[in-house]
Amino acid sequence: MGAFNSLTYNATICLGCGECMMACAKAKSGDADRFDQSRIKIVPAGDNKFEAALCRQCGDAKCVMNCPAGALTKNAASGVVDWNADLCVSCLLCTVGCAYGSITFESSVGHVAKCDTCGGDPACVKVCKSGALGYVTTASIYNDYGKQEDLFAPGLAACQGCNSELMIRHVLRRVGRNVVVAAPPGCIPGMGTVGYNGKAGAKVPIFHPLLTNTASMLAGLKRTYERQGRDVTALALAGDGGASDVGFQSLSGAAERGEHILFLCFDNEGYMNTGMQASSATSFGSWTSTTPVGDKLQGKRTDAKNLPMVMMMHNAAYVATASSVFMEDFYRKLDKALAASKQGFAYLHLYAPCPSGWRFPASLTIDVCRLMVESNFVTLWEYTPETGLVFTRPTDKPKPLESYLKAIGKYRHLAQEQVDRIKKLLEDRLAMLKRFVR
Amino acid sequence: MTALSKPGKVVVLDGNEAAAKGVALARPDVVAVYPITPQSSLVEHLSSLIASGELDAELMNVEGEHSVLSALQGAALAGARTYTATSGPGLAFMFEPYIRQPGLRLPMVASLVTRDTLTPQCVWGGHQDAMLVRECGWIHMYCETVQEILDSVIMGYKVAEHPEIMLPVNVNHDGNYLSFGVTRCEIPEQALVDDFLGPKNINWHAALDPERPMSVDPLTGNAGGAGPSMFVRYRKGQTEAMAHALDIIAEVHADWAARTGRHHAPLVEEYRLEGAEVALITLGSMTGAAKDCCDALRAGGRKVGVIKVKTYRPFPVAAMARALSQVKAVGVMDRSVSYGWNSGPMHQDTLSTLGKTGLRMPCLSFIGGLAGADITEAHFERAYDAVFKAASGDMPPGPLWVNEKD
Repeated sequence: MGAFNSLTYNATICLGCGECMMACAKAKSGDADRFDQSRIKIVPAGDNKFEAALCRQCGDAKCVMNCPAGALTKNAASGVVDWNADLCVSCLLCTVGCAYGSITFESSVGHVAKCDTCGGDPACVKVCKSGALGYVTTASIYNDYGKQEDLFAPGLAACQGCNSELMIRHVLRRVGRNVVVAAPPGCIPGMGTVGYNGKAGAKVPIFHPLLTNTASMLAGLKRTYERQGRDVTALALAGDGGASDVGFQSLSGAAERGEHILFLCFDNEGYMNTGMQASSATSFGSWTSTTPVGDKLQGKRTDAKNLPMVMMMHNAAYVATASSVFMEDFYRKLDKALAASKQGFAYLHLYAPCPSGWRFPASLTIDVCRLMVESNFVTLWEYTPETGLVFTRPTDKPKPLESYLKAIGKYRHLAQEQVDRIKKLLEDRLAMLKRFVR
Repeated sequence: MTALSKPGKVVVLDGNEAAAKGVALARPDVVAVYPITPQSSLVEHLSSLIASGELDAELMNVEGEHSVLSALQGAALAGARTYTATSGPGLAFMFEPYIRQPGLRLPMVASLVTRDTLTPQCVWGGHQDAMLVRECGWIHMYCETVQEILDSVIMGYKVAEHPEIMLPVNVNHDGNYLSFGVTRCEIPEQALVDDFLGPKNINWHAALDPERPMSVDPLTGNAGGAGPSMFVRYRKGQTEAMAHALDIIAEVHADWAARTGRHHAPLVEEYRLEGAEVALITLGSMTGAAKDCCDALRAGGRKVGVIKVKTYRPFPVAAMARALSQVKAVGVMDRSVSYGWNSGPMHQDTLSTLGKTGLRMPCLSFIGGLAGADITEAHFERAYDAVFKAASGDMPPGPLWVNEKD
């Protein structure tokens, strides 16, 4: 599949100057004054604001569906919705379908007209002073990584809506075949990645370390390969229990020694594979099967250990937090972590909300991931000894914390004072992290 | 010394240094270390050998015994010959990866510099630590002398890596008495050891290698409804390899003897059993004092002998039965206890051997040498007396505690 390129329009900063329409008219008719020939129309939207009638090159375009003649097609290579003059029967059904008013009948030329992105170099974007118009390659991750082989077996038995399965597939596509994967006991081997009864779950070497010794086993393996002169990526796909609780000693030791390991922690805030028990990564107030809610106890009584911050304090070669909602950010960090793991210890902490254990509908995983970040419940940042801490997503305008907590069943019982404590903790943690910014 | 054997360099050193020298001659790829009394000087020697370049190995200074063995398992799965050493509480902390190693069929040698276990708090020698892991699937060989430590470490690799065995080997030597006892020791030439061990082949059966991708240790047993057969086959194979190891250990000792001229009994040593009426069964460094006592008593006309156990796991039932069949009564000197049986662990093994082979004789349990206590010739003489009394029907109801009043 090729690239999906499209124009973007930001109404909040559009000045309504019309330069784009003139540039388009000139490009399409040779005459900048022929506004009727412009395939972009900036129109007043009241209150000194503007809107754009502009083709978004939809992925599942209604105009294409409506066209009975096959004159409109989604170009698999460029992503542009192409119009073919020879096939068009001028029925105008396409204009009925478009919600953006961006394919319309032009009486001056006698047929419908729409944006063709000027062959990938749109004239309108070049003249836009405000920056309201942009030209982007969408689905770049899909295009960059979609071709790469999925190295896990199809049909892993993760729960419906599992974020971790999605992410481990992304990780291994990027890391490739020259890898040894450690999957300590938990959801990741539980879904079948290592395999059952002689059947493998991955196309690469993979093993169950103990819950306690993931980093140590990989360290010995990696040092042996380096001794043999072989560059093999040592990759851990661990959960928060195996990283922040019982496996912490080996993790800390490996980080201190700067072992050349890429350690990924999928933080679903507990022992979800074992039945949703609390770990030290479980957030305050959470219901889990070992921090139940009753008359005497109302969920977890302590705050979550902030493992990525602890790993930063080891001065590891690379430490970052990431979310599956911000995939470009995730991939950029994965690339950096992979590179850093050739020279030192790289730690990537992935927030992995768990529909089964946290009690929210499986269809809302990505929404919960997004709210988690946008409410500052977690923050996205990266650290290297050279740069210090850098936030990779702004934290200054968070959505209300309640919008996040209310989306998740494990917080349903929270009293206001518990919510207030979480708020205070998040503010304190953010302030602490900010002190690591140089 | 046979015509094939070559003399080595003779030096004076203690057991920990002898173990380190033996390890270096076996050319491990990765050595992971963590200090603990009375093992520490062993890994200090090894670290020095690596620092000086005398031993070309990767040295991993990890943060605890749990990670020591874990790192070495990872290394072995990438094809490395590995080594470590530990004692008492260190072995206890290592337990989780320790019990896994034989099931992974990863060959290695690890020295247990034996020490009594907590509590009472104690840093002195005793066999309790090694005895607590006797049913974990590791091969256990106990050394009597400093020379035997060096030789057994090297032989340990040959046994562990034998393609029909593929199991880890503990070469055990007594904390304090052997770890720090300084004696004469002959160091074989590197070429002799290289030729003896041959090429390494550590992970032909289970590898974590992108060039040979496989899942290592996926879930087995009843998961997925496949039934327990695969799990049972793994266990059975491991147990059979353990049993077969007795043959290989004997072969390897014979091969070593032919090359070096040093004959160590591979399984059980029969000492002056000809015409003996009673014998004491020993393990480790106490054997020297037992033999001296035996010699003295023999000189006085008393018909006594010593049965030294070298290979304790797998237990050499046939060799033991051969030795036992030559006497009328026996006493077992354990340097540890079996809490469940109110006797020593090796006493239980001896009783089982008698039961399995249909031999009947009085079999006494002695518990001595705990917490670094010395088992002297005088102690052994009293033990012989007790066994003679038992032979004539005076059997004590429980174990005899050798150092209770020392």
